[in-house]
Amino acid sequence: MNRTPKTSSMLVILTFSCMITATAKSQAEESAANTMSAEARAFFEKEVRPLLVKRCFECHGGSKTEGGLSLASAEGWKLGGDSGPAIVPGKPDESLLIEAINYGSLEMPPAERGGKLAAREIAILTKWVEMGAPDPRTGSEVLGGMTLDEAKSWWAFQPLPEVRPAESPIEDIERIDALLNREIENRGLELAPAADRRTLLRRLTYDLTGLPPTHDEVEAFTADESPDALAKVIDRLLDSPRYGEQWGRHWLDVVRYADTAGENADFPLPHAWRYRNWVIDAFQRDMPFDQFVRMQLAGDLLADESNAEERADGIIATGYLALARRFGHDSDKDMHLTYEDVIDNLGKNFLGLSLGCARCHDHKYDPVGAEDYYALYGIFESTRFAFPGCEAKQKTRDMVPLLPQEQINALVNPKREDVAELDAAKKKQLEARTAAGESVEKLVGDHRRVLAESQVAEGASVPFSQSINVRKGEVIQLTVSPNQSHGADTTRVEWQISETRAAKRSWSVAELVANLMKGNPYPASHGVQWCFLETTPVLMFLAEQRPNVDGNAALKSWGNGNTPWALVNTDDQQVMAWTTLTAESFFLHPGPNRPVAVAWVSPLDGEVTLSGLVADAHPSNSDGVAFELSHIATPEYGPALVKLGQSFPPVEVPSAKPEKRVIPVAYAVVEGETKNARFQKAGEPEQLGPEVPRRWLSIFGGTQVPEDAGSGRRELSEWVAKHPLTARVMVNRIWEWHFGQGLVRSSNDFGTQGEAPTHPELLDFLASRFVQSGYSVKAMHRLILHTDAFQRASATPVAADPDNRWLSHFNRRRLTAEELRDNLLNTSGQLDLTPGKAHPFPEESTWKFTQHHPFNAVYETDKRSVYMMVQRQRRHPFLALFDGADPNASTPARETTTVPTQALYFINDPFFHAQAAKLAAIILETPGDDARVLQAYRRLFQREPTPSEQQRAAKFLHNYPGDAREKWSALSRVLLASNEFLFVE
Amino acid sequence: MTNPSRRTFLRSAAASSILFPGIVNQLLADEEDPLAVRDPHFPAKAKNVIFLFMTGGVSHIDTFDPKPELTKQHGKEIPSDHPSTKGRPDYSRIFLKKPQWEFKPHGQCGTEVSSLFPHVAECVDDIALIRSMYTSHANHYNSTLAMHTGSFTVPRPSIGSWATYGLGTLNRNLPGFVVIAPAQTYAGTQVYSNDILPGAYQGTLVVPGKEPVANVSPRVPVDHQQLELAALREINTEHLATRGGDPQLLARLQTFETAFGMQMAVPDAFDFADETQSTLDSYGLKPDQKTGFGWQCLAARRLVERGVRFVELIDTGSSGNWDAHGDMLRHEPLAKNVDQPIAALLRDLKQRGMLNETLVVWTTEFGRTPFNKTADHKGREHHPLGFSSWMAGGGVKPGMVHGATDEIGMNAVDKPVHVRDFHATILHLMGLDHERLSMRHAGLDVRLTGVEYAHVVKEILA
Repeated sequence: MNRTPKTSSMLVILTFSCMITATAKSQAEESAANTMSAEARAFFEKEVRPLLVKRCFECHGGSKTEGGLSLASAEGWKLGGDSGPAIVPGKPDESLLIEAINYGSLEMPPAERGGKLAAREIAILTKWVEMGAPDPRTGSEVLGGMTLDEAKSWWAFQPLPEVRPAESPIEDIERIDALLNREIENRGLELAPAADRRTLLRRLTYDLTGLPPTHDEVEAFTADESPDALAKVIDRLLDSPRYGEQWGRHWLDVVRYADTAGENADFPLPHAWRYRNWVIDAFQRDMPFDQFVRMQLAGDLLADESNAEERADGIIATGYLALARRFGHDSDKDMHLTYEDVIDNLGKNFLGLSLGCARCHDHKYDPVGAEDYYALYGIFESTRFAFPGCEAKQKTRDMVPLLPQEQINALVNPKREDVAELDAAKKKQLEARTAAGESVEKLVGDHRRVLAESQVAEGASVPFSQSINVRKGEVIQLTVSPNQSHGADTTRVEWQISETRAAKRSWSVAELVANLMKGNPYPASHGVQWCFLETTPVLMFLAEQRPNVDGNAALKSWGNGNTPWALVNTDDQQVMAWTTLTAESFFLHPGPNRPVAVAWVSPLDGEVTLSGLVADAHPSNSDGVAFELSHIATPEYGPALVKLGQSFPPVEVPSAKPEKRVIPVAYAVVEGETKNARFQKAGEPEQLGPEVPRRWLSIFGGTQVPEDAGSGRRELSEWVAKHPLTARVMVNRIWEWHFGQGLVRSSNDFGTQGEAPTHPELLDFLASRFVQSGYSVKAMHRLILHTDAFQRASATPVAADPDNRWLSHFNRRRLTAEELRDNLLNTSGQLDLTPGKAHPFPEESTWKFTQHHPFNAVYETDKRSVYMMVQRQRRHPFLALFDGADPNASTPARETTTVPTQALYFINDPFFHAQAAKLAAIILETPGDDARVLQAYRRLFQREPTPSEQQRAAKFLHNYPGDAREKWSALSRVLLASNEFLFVE
Repeated sequence: MTNPSRRTFLRSAAASSILFPGIVNQLLADEEDPLAVRDPHFPAKAKNVIFLFMTGGVSHIDTFDPKPELTKQHGKEIPSDHPSTKGRPDYSRIFLKKPQWEFKPHGQCGTEVSSLFPHVAECVDDIALIRSMYTSHANHYNSTLAMHTGSFTVPRPSIGSWATYGLGTLNRNLPGFVVIAPAQTYAGTQVYSNDILPGAYQGTLVVPGKEPVANVSPRVPVDHQQLELAALREINTEHLATRGGDPQLLARLQTFETAFGMQMAVPDAFDFADETQSTLDSYGLKPDQKTGFGWQCLAARRLVERGVRFVELIDTGSSGNWDAHGDMLRHEPLAKNVDQPIAALLRDLKQRGMLNETLVVWTTEFGRTPFNKTADHKGREHHPLGFSSWMAGGGVKPGMVHGATDEIGMNAVDKPVHVRDFHATILHLMGLDHERLSMRHAGLDVRLTGVEYAHVVKEILA
């Protein structure tokens, strides 16, 4: 088995071939093949081609290779190399090739390339030359940046080797260690000793959960001498809900998860969290990885329709596709960039191939043609992506409901008979109220005198003041009407009525504020009744009583439906509602074409002074309101009005908000209109070329999507899930997330531009076992975590292996941004371990995001960092500081930059200081500084302080100014800023 | 960037404790320090850059590109096929609209500048004005992203990140790339993001005001803090000693000293107490003024003086800026906000002998249309086809005009300069070859100037 790539020489070759269009077999080749006998052709394909690929191509596979000789085409060997033509057809004795493989003047293949061919192989080539060297290869058979032969023999694309099942788990673990140790010994590297138990438990716990063990857990593990102590700990950690959060985060890194869309106004994605939580849950329950892959590409098509939960999960999983970045001002118009983002991520993420490169031209290095790109493109163009909204189109659409249609129907349309019944009752009630209102209204006749009327402009207020004579039972009424445009018509009313002479009693709408719910009519002092009314088309009391408007107990109203309303803010502060409502105020709010009034029924005969003002309380770019103050000068009207109000009992609207009929939706995809994409010249969607059928990558067979199969996502999900590359790429990721680097260090690139595996046999072995285990990620963990390699002590790299590629010791690592934050919260006792759900985004109906005013928010939370809201356009400051994942592109491994601004965080950040202070408070509950230092070290480092550490701490506490709280806060900061806290050994 | 064999040697020397602690310690830190000074590709003319970005799209024909013909043809109808108005129903007919400000020649070179920039006009003898800029998108977001990163679509590293990646920084107590902005421009933090480059090259945001850099103000008295840092150093040193002098641990240990220094260095850079009254006056600064473009400009000079490699000043955020669709008169307060400070900056740098090593760049994301749907419409639309930018100092030929738009200011016709050419020129002046300054990412060599051909504008080089 020899699959060491020869990247350096290939680079040269492949840059030349990038301009050639991808055709798996060129026409020239077809015609050459046609003139060849079937027998000759079969012999070449069956015997010669594989042999050349296997034993010669490593050095002579390109168009310009070692010794100038290429065996990649007939043209190549005819032209020959530095020593002349390699083959004289029909004459093996005169052919250099045959001489060389027989180790004549040349010795090929040389010893360092596997040595002399087997006798059978020599015979094959000799026979071939004797036959006249029939060769259909014209040399133009290239695919993207490779010749077809090179591509077909590329190590990463090969089927996984058959590996016989292990007789015991130990056997596999020993095999892994043997493969690693062999390389270490070959290089004369020194093996680090096994890590001590405390270190190992810390390493395991951080690795699997992102959090440290407790001191008690360390003690228990150290004391447990049973042979399965390690296995028990690993099982415990894999079962912990913290595991899914930690390992789900790894996956969210590679799929560039974010909570915003990334287009010009960076619209929020309020439903994306369901995918995030689905990923966490999938890791937690060890969903077989092939299934995990299929679900993300086609979960909506694969889930069992009859199982509501499974169906919802399948839809949510396709959030992977929907999460692709959106672009531009009108993101519908830039969907070609979104499809590129999908294809690019799919390639890197599952296959370790940079497919996005092929948008504008054939891949320069890997066997991917631009046609392959558009073949996949068609699959996504035939898929309907949920639309997150954008500056040009504010409304979201195509969110995918998570309930079956019948349940949606039930939610949206309450049972028809109920509705009919309700409607009938309402209608009857309305008829009665209308008739009663009309009869009272008749009493007004020509007794109405308008005392004052005025327009109130936006944001303006208009005062009024006058004195009139009234009789008992007469009514003074203040009516507020909407103008042409209604909405934003909340109107604040101040109105006082005072007796001019005699007792000088007075009444004011201010007195309604404290107790508006008392009634309508509202019995006030000295026999006055206030009535809250609407007047158009017919006189009617505001009958619905809301003691709790919009869930705010300070706001109370009488109303009919959405408007009109009479409303009070009882709070002694302003309340932010649909507008800012002034403290302790009375408001009238007309509805569309529905003026609203407050009426005062006089208890006296005599002169009263009326004064007050009407103010527009909801300034907007509209046309304000109007009001009229009138006197209904007939004593019969007042008592009739009050009686009208009393004859219909008030309807209480439940204080809690009526339950919204929310249909849960996912940010996901479903099938769209099926169509093949057209080739785009240079990746420009305006320059369309021929149609490209939807199919799998041609290097992997190019199977087409069957007719009537829909978009082809279902087929694609199977092709991807079952490809050996997918298994190789994932086991390599698992390895990388355990050891800090993969066996292939370019974990998103298994193509020619990536790095070769350090341990190819190990990679293939693991991939095979992964498949055999039913793609169990947890089984891989168990295997890897039990190796000696994982359990070695960490050390500083040595010159012979500066990057510790051969794993003679473990890699010390800094905590990730999330781990650091979680640990600070954990240490200070503040970490909220309940899983996060949706973010508190503003209500969708209020969105008006533009590139001038893009969405921008940071939401504070004490939950684990995986639940933080991550924006694409504006990075979270903390995550940016500590090398968080890139929410715009796949992050296979976290960087660890070390910069002074990070140190500033540990010196001055308010969050850091707050956690240290809370930690200090916890520690101070223990009496005595020695015991406190002990507790601090156990809590932070899960170990006992050494005597000198005790002394140093005591000295520090003694020297540091201030009270115990200040001293301990300072010491907490020092310990939390230490390298021991930030690094895992 | 880092010589692997040297690093390997140093690591092994440190690991085997022969030389540790000692001189190797410092050498190692240099090797690992992504901000260590690196040689340019060829001798640099400009050591530092001050990049002045005017948000929203400054009208070229009302500021730096006089068009008498446009005045003459005011009201003339022209075909409606412009990228920012094509297809908009109310723009089916468009008419030329004359400039609203008067142009006059200035300085010895006689470059014409409008009355919107009276102070900058006095500095034209130091300026190389490019009147043939063009860009590839009519949207703020895309063109702003491109003016900073070269990319109109996906995020890419900012020009300031590229510069610090290429050259390192001269003062470890200050970040190498500083962005001073009262508000975020279009495309948010992406315009100063390191993207695929290491995190050490991200722009550090300074928001004019009380605490311009996050976490730089000591939260406890400095003498208390020193006690903490001394204890921390002791703990970390002990930890390091038992771990073979692991470079990553050592590097972090040392950042605390730098950070401690930053607490002094950063406020010092932003404390103008040692500036003379006449300097403050020249920037138009009132006593204790902590905001405004004058503050930003003086802060930029002080940062460059202290070795900060790349300083960007953004004048306004993504709203309330030069985006004068409704009324071109909005250019007046915006020009007034920046004009005197920019002129003061140029003079100040010159007077201190810094201008020859400091490149000052003035630009915006695009220009504004020389037409509108009616000739008497007050505003102008987005115009990517032609606009003006300028450079001064750091290896730039002074007192010249490069390129031109056509007679109505529509298209850059003479010696057009695309954004990527503009970037190539800035890098060139810093001693960097835009084709060599690259980062391998996902099988591609990512560059500031992208994959399309970009040329250095040789004509404006001194």
